[in-house]
Amino acid sequence: MSTATATRPRSSGKARKAPKAPIQKARRIQNSLAERIAPYAYVAPFFIIFIVFGLFPLLFTFYVSLFDWNPIGEQTFVGLKNFESLFADGRFWNALLNTFAIFLISTIPQLLLALFLAHLLNHARLRWANFFRMALLVPYITSVAATAIVFAQIFDKNFGLINWVLGLFGLPSINFLATNYGSWILISAMVMWRWFGYNTLLYLAGLQALPREMFEAASVDGASSWQQFRHLTIPALRPIIIFTVIMSTIGGLQIFTEPLLASPESGLTCGAGRQCQTLALFLYEQGFGQFKFGYGSAIGVVLFVIVVVVSLLNFYLSTRTRKAR
Amino acid sequence: MKKSVTAVTAAAAAIALALTGCSSGGGASSDDPNAEVAFWSFTGINAKDGVKEYLEKQPDAKVKLTEVGSTTETATALTAALAGGKVPDLVMIQNDDLPQFVANSSNFVDLRTLGGDDVADGYLPWAASAATAEDGSVVGIPTDVGGLGFAYRADLFEQAGLPTEPDEVAAMWSDWDAFIEMGKKYTAATGKPFVDNIETSVFFSTVNQVSEKYYSPDGELVYDKNPQVKDAFQVAVDTKDAGISAGIAAWSSGWAPGRANGAFAVTVAPSWILSGIKTDAPDTAGNWRVTTVPGVGGNWGGSVIAIPARAKNPEAAWQYIETMMSAEGQEDHFKKSGTFPAASEAVASEAVRAYTDPFFGDSKIGEVMATSVEKFPSFYNGPDTTPINGALLNTLVELEAGNVTSDKAWTTGLEKAKEAIGD
Repeated sequence: MSTATATRPRSSGKARKAPKAPIQKARRIQNSLAERIAPYAYVAPFFIIFIVFGLFPLLFTFYVSLFDWNPIGEQTFVGLKNFESLFADGRFWNALLNTFAIFLISTIPQLLLALFLAHLLNHARLRWANFFRMALLVPYITSVAATAIVFAQIFDKNFGLINWVLGLFGLPSINFLATNYGSWILISAMVMWRWFGYNTLLYLAGLQALPREMFEAASVDGASSWQQFRHLTIPALRPIIIFTVIMSTIGGLQIFTEPLLASPESGLTCGAGRQCQTLALFLYEQGFGQFKFGYGSAIGVVLFVIVVVVSLLNFYLSTRTRKAR
Repeated sequence: MKKSVTAVTAAAAAIALALTGCSSGGGASSDDPNAEVAFWSFTGINAKDGVKEYLEKQPDAKVKLTEVGSTTETATALTAALAGGKVPDLVMIQNDDLPQFVANSSNFVDLRTLGGDDVADGYLPWAASAATAEDGSVVGIPTDVGGLGFAYRADLFEQAGLPTEPDEVAAMWSDWDAFIEMGKKYTAATGKPFVDNIETSVFFSTVNQVSEKYYSPDGELVYDKNPQVKDAFQVAVDTKDAGISAGIAAWSSGWAPGRANGAFAVTVAPSWILSGIKTDAPDTAGNWRVTTVPGVGGNWGGSVIAIPARAKNPEAAWQYIETMMSAEGQEDHFKKSGTFPAASEAVASEAVRAYTDPFFGDSKIGEVMATSVEKFPSFYNGPDTTPINGALLNTLVELEAGNVTSDKAWTTGLEKAKEAIGD
């Protein structure tokens, strides 16, 4: 029996008209059935877990968002009222603005910095390259809570390092958490600190996969370091850049831990005037701080739609640039 | 509608349990007082010591203690459990989180069914009433209260030419106007702010010295009409306008350094905050004093202990409450752990009244705290008390940051409160 019969039982069975014993035939059918089911069984665990912990909660969130839902009390159907109130709620638009502002302030400089660092680390004559590469991962493996405490101390308005330095130059101290811009910078700094090493390593891995001869040839031809960066490094890294942009978008729009921990004194609002409350934190405040599950779910649904739209936009732009090439 | 929702939730829970291979343990509820009690507490309240004392008193009992997390995290976990998970037999609930559980009292065992109609009688009346539902069912038994005092730096007061003895200080700031006057003197003499902030140290004290807070006694929202709330808020605004506040919020990154380096001389001090001052400012040992707050009485914090309606071993949980929450049990627990009692007899006991601490210059801490909770007025708190509180506190923080002006602070606060409770 050839392997072809094993993998394509139907066509081979039809092709050969040779008579077979009934028992053999039955076994073959049994085998082929098991073989056809097997692949589904192998992937089933992922899909079952995905359905239980991914798809079901997602759909259930849509369902809950149509209710005035107290988890331990009454649940009343209210239709789209939660969405109506949400779009009329100043706190929602504030959170939306904060989310996009923090996303842009943290992602763009971060990816540029990562690209630049990767280019430096890829340099053939760099000493202790491995040490620097390892060191880049330290912020990534440090607990966010520890990072948040340290950053909050550095940015503190009374006794923080930054304001101490400003004071040395006779400048007035800045109350970062009291203004939108200040708190966006604080949160973005924490996000950048955590992720720049990770993205640098991704870019570096991409660079190391490139043939070194390409860069050598470029230097022989008299290309400056900047020209190499602009015309070799960036085009070669395009797929990885697209990947990091999409991942940063998905992560950036759902940013939660940093604003939660940046300002423990103001609870779940990140600043007394919600200066750095993101959509994810607003969702948590409404859902789990005030137990308005329906309203919280409505925020979740809107956040989901936003992430999908922005991801599609990313995808469209990236495929278009690929085609343009 | 509600029925089908519950059915969907139940079905979802059943699927989740079946798929992940969990089981809810099985077995019907037990009447055995020594059955194992699943006990959820929060961190920072010495629950382990309490359980240890309990096992000394009831050697045959079994307790499985889980310190879930902060008070808020514990309330969140409890909410999730009540909504459809496995509930504990016994749970601690902090007073700020309490109103929403009391408003949905059917989730808990009415403790009158286990301890008789007078089960809550021996406790401070306001603490017991906070845990009693509208229909009279007793959701929880008060385990402890916070009390309220002010801690101040005697050494800094001396430099500013102010009295240093707790009794003299208390007499001098008998009301809030006098407090602000003292602050002006201090700031004029030292050039430094007097009090750490206006939201927790001032407003949180003043707004709890009222006979009626955000709700009328029959449960109607009156926070925007009640002149007492507006006056309490105005004291905080006046404190800010007097220029005597450091604007350092409680638990902000500057608070711990400020306690240590004299950036302010006065801070609010419920009993449970005192250990934090010791930890944050060990070098100031002997410089702090504790005395009564301006105005009359006060409380910040405290918790109750409750039995969820679906608890498997309510009898065993009740035995824990009966043993540990009696006046005697709370007095013993205070002696061992410093948790301030809520049972009236324990509050009046010698052990509590005579409590002092050399770190605070042997100030009469026990007497200060006990008097504050005995004078604390009883007012109705509803499910929106905590969100309204948060909105007004946040407005005062914004005032200190310069994002809101003094004359607009009250209207801004009301807008924020409305936003916070609006559906």
